[in-house]
Amino acid sequence: MAEFFQHIINGISVGAIYALIALGYTMVYGVLKLINFAHGDVFMIGAMVGWYVARWTGESRTPSIAGALLVTLASMLACAILGLVIERLAYRPLRNSPRLNSLITAIGVSFFLEYGGQYVFGPNPRVFTVLPRHPGLHVGPVSLGYVDVVTVVVSVVLMFLLQRIVFHTRMGTAMRAVSYNSTVASLMGVNIDLVISFTFVLGSVLAAVAGILYASKYPSVQPLMGLMPGLKAFVAAVLGGIGNVPGAMLGGLVLGLAEQIVSGYLSSSWRDAVAFGILILVLLVRPTGLLGRGEAEKV
Amino acid sequence: MAGLFGGSALTQARRALLSWLPFVAAIPLLWLVQHFWAEQPDWEYAFQNINHIGIAIILAVSLNLVNGLTGQFSIGHAGFMAVGGYVSAVLLLRGPAQDPYRLFFIASIAAGAGAAALAGWLVGKPSLRLRGDYLAIVTLGFGEIIRVIIENTPLFGRAIGLSPIPRYADFTWIWTAAIATILITKRLRDSTHGRAFLSVREDEVAAEAMGVDTTGYKVRAFVISAGMAGVAGALSGSFEGNLSPQSFTFVRSFEVVAMVVLGGMGSITGSTIAAAVLTLLPEYLRALASLRMVIYSIALVVLMLVRPRGLLGTREIWDLLPWRRGKGGPPPAKAPELSEALIDVRHATIRFGGLTAVCDFSLTVKPRELVALIGPNGAGKTTVFNLLTGVYPPTEGSILVRGRDTRGLAPHDIAHLGLARTFQNSRLFRELTAFDNVRLGCHHLTRESMAASVRKGELAEVEEKWITQRSEELLAVMGLLHRRDDLAKNLPYGEQRRLEIARALATDPKALLLDEPAAGTNQKEKSELMQLIRDIRDRFGVAVVLIEHDMKLVMGVSERILVLDHGVTIAQGFPREIQTNARVIEAYLGEKYAREHARQIAAGRVQP
Repeated sequence: MAEFFQHIINGISVGAIYALIALGYTMVYGVLKLINFAHGDVFMIGAMVGWYVARWTGESRTPSIAGALLVTLASMLACAILGLVIERLAYRPLRNSPRLNSLITAIGVSFFLEYGGQYVFGPNPRVFTVLPRHPGLHVGPVSLGYVDVVTVVVSVVLMFLLQRIVFHTRMGTAMRAVSYNSTVASLMGVNIDLVISFTFVLGSVLAAVAGILYASKYPSVQPLMGLMPGLKAFVAAVLGGIGNVPGAMLGGLVLGLAEQIVSGYLSSSWRDAVAFGILILVLLVRPTGLLGRGEAEKV
Repeated sequence: MAGLFGGSALTQARRALLSWLPFVAAIPLLWLVQHFWAEQPDWEYAFQNINHIGIAIILAVSLNLVNGLTGQFSIGHAGFMAVGGYVSAVLLLRGPAQDPYRLFFIASIAAGAGAAALAGWLVGKPSLRLRGDYLAIVTLGFGEIIRVIIENTPLFGRAIGLSPIPRYADFTWIWTAAIATILITKRLRDSTHGRAFLSVREDEVAAEAMGVDTTGYKVRAFVISAGMAGVAGALSGSFEGNLSPQSFTFVRSFEVVAMVVLGGMGSITGSTIAAAVLTLLPEYLRALASLRMVIYSIALVVLMLVRPRGLLGTREIWDLLPWRRGKGGPPPAKAPELSEALIDVRHATIRFGGLTAVCDFSLTVKPRELVALIGPNGAGKTTVFNLLTGVYPPTEGSILVRGRDTRGLAPHDIAHLGLARTFQNSRLFRELTAFDNVRLGCHHLTRESMAASVRKGELAEVEEKWITQRSEELLAVMGLLHRRDDLAKNLPYGEQRRLEIARALATDPKALLLDEPAAGTNQKEKSELMQLIRDIRDRFGVAVVLIEHDMKLVMGVSERILVLDHGVTIAQGFPREIQTNARVIEAYLGEKYAREHARQIAAGRVQP
């Protein structure tokens, strides 16, 4: 039983990170109907920037809470700029072309970040220490890692903030309007370019935080670290219903739990197949996801 | 000479020879090259590259069938390659130690291709209903799952891989397969099946309306493409002598996607050239090896921004050369005249959520009848067309086309029954020529199999001639022959609308549904259209159901009119009856005007 609770706790911790990344996928898909393939790599850049900043400030030698906050803020800023630039240079010129072209471009950007990162950073993983060491909590035989606790707390706070932004601000209303029908939204005076840029910034900032948390958990950074979590977060977004913000959170959690349970009771080498198995299953049984709603093509 | 011997046996033998010639003639040539150069030590490195190019060509050209011609987007090609490679390798490792005639090798390649095709079917069948980007993710997921399975299966050597695989594959084998792949894909592309693939890429709704089974064609493209990738995997394994799961990652799939995209989506020569260039580039730019993927990705993004259809687009290198037109062929068999009702709608109702779009709608259309469907905007006219053509099933009631209940039939099945339509916002295959648009309409009348298209069998040739003739006739009838080779998107608006009618007629319909054919045309074009609709009825013997707002056109052309308002049939009858019907006037002009009009008629001040 203790083992089971341990898997649940690990699952929630990983799932929270997936959920943070999935939010970026789902919001961009909502406003642009584009799978932003490069999103997983924005997550990686977030961790990598964190690694560099931590080295410059000496944070990696003497970790502290204040230092960790500083590193996180720096990496959020860097990712916000990166998100803006990617949207401006790669996606905006293609906004009115076939979706396939945008998808190919997104894959191109993703590979550019991965292999450009590999060129600059080197292909080998490097140790990542930003959070101060702490033994964590122990409840009977179940242990709560310090990073896990921080991850869950930070994710819950961020998701709450995001929910406020999307449903209780003017910008959030504009985002939902663009996602529903961008032409009509622009006729009603919504500045679409601004909304889309804002969406990318929001998603990238969340990915930066997820990157720092993920890198702290394992604790290492490498240029291809965004590939798998990125894909899995996308699966989480589809599972919850793509374009749907609460859906992304739910999807992330479900996926994290499923993965931990499979790797705990079956074998960790099958872990990566779980996400894609779930994806194919969802698309077959309920393509709109758990919380999504479908729409028919008008003829 | 032909007159002297004259026998059709000779013609057939000649045709068979010609159709297989490229496949057969290549082998001794390749073998000679192999014998004189490839086995020389000096040439070893060069031929290693040449063979890698051959394998890359198989992969790129086969992926082009899905990504370029059919417009789907697969990014899991390495997965299918892995299936083919591993199945063939496992067989070879357990097979006889000696295989002097390479029979077992051939069998292992076939098994690999079959397994990959099966995998393609398993992945494609359920997921091809999804839109492009979802499909991309599913194929990606599939590729990763395959890799995880291989890494966990002792039979496949887990993460270490399989070796030593007997090294039977050499220059001759690889290039025979590469040439076969190119030829098969080219012949498919040039056949009626190829046009069906293209129609799926251009507009699925219109393709269904033309009688193309879009899901069926997607699955076929996927299965054929996966099978070819399986061949590439089998050859690659046997050429290298080993297989490891690390060679079949997402990066490998991405390389193939890059080849297809750079070469031009839909261009076979483009894929071939891009496969060669992208295989050689890293070899000759070793200094830049670590930047290879960075360069690929930048090239891809820049290309998408500058030339979204790839370097060659859908064109081929030899498209600059003039091409010959086919002439002659047997005329289409005339269908027997029908006495029964062509279309019989009985109390059809459709609701979207709480909205009843069409309520208790009944309509009978007899052969050669001209019926108009009119009503204010939002009355449900187009919804009636969508019901008739199977885009939506009715919530209640039934629809019979030529006596057959259409419930459960897909739009392409209904097109086969003899219903053809145009669309309110015309849905031409914009990137295809006018000629190809019409030829596609003939698609569902053809009987040739895909294998026959590849072999260039006699039926295929006869049908192709017949399609050409029929399509040119239709273009001529519509006054579009001078636009034959122009892209549909470049035609002026009025001509686009006529082209859509020509395409619909090409399906040899019994009833033609025209959705606002006169919208956006001027007075002169309208009167021409009126004449054209009558001509079409007389010449092709079809019934015409017309949705139109232009009353002059409607009154001038139709024999019977049905008026819809808010989904309810408020009147039907002869044109004159409709013109004076109070409810119709009310629906169009409002209650007050209707009362005024009635009073004036009663007072004898206006003619009804």
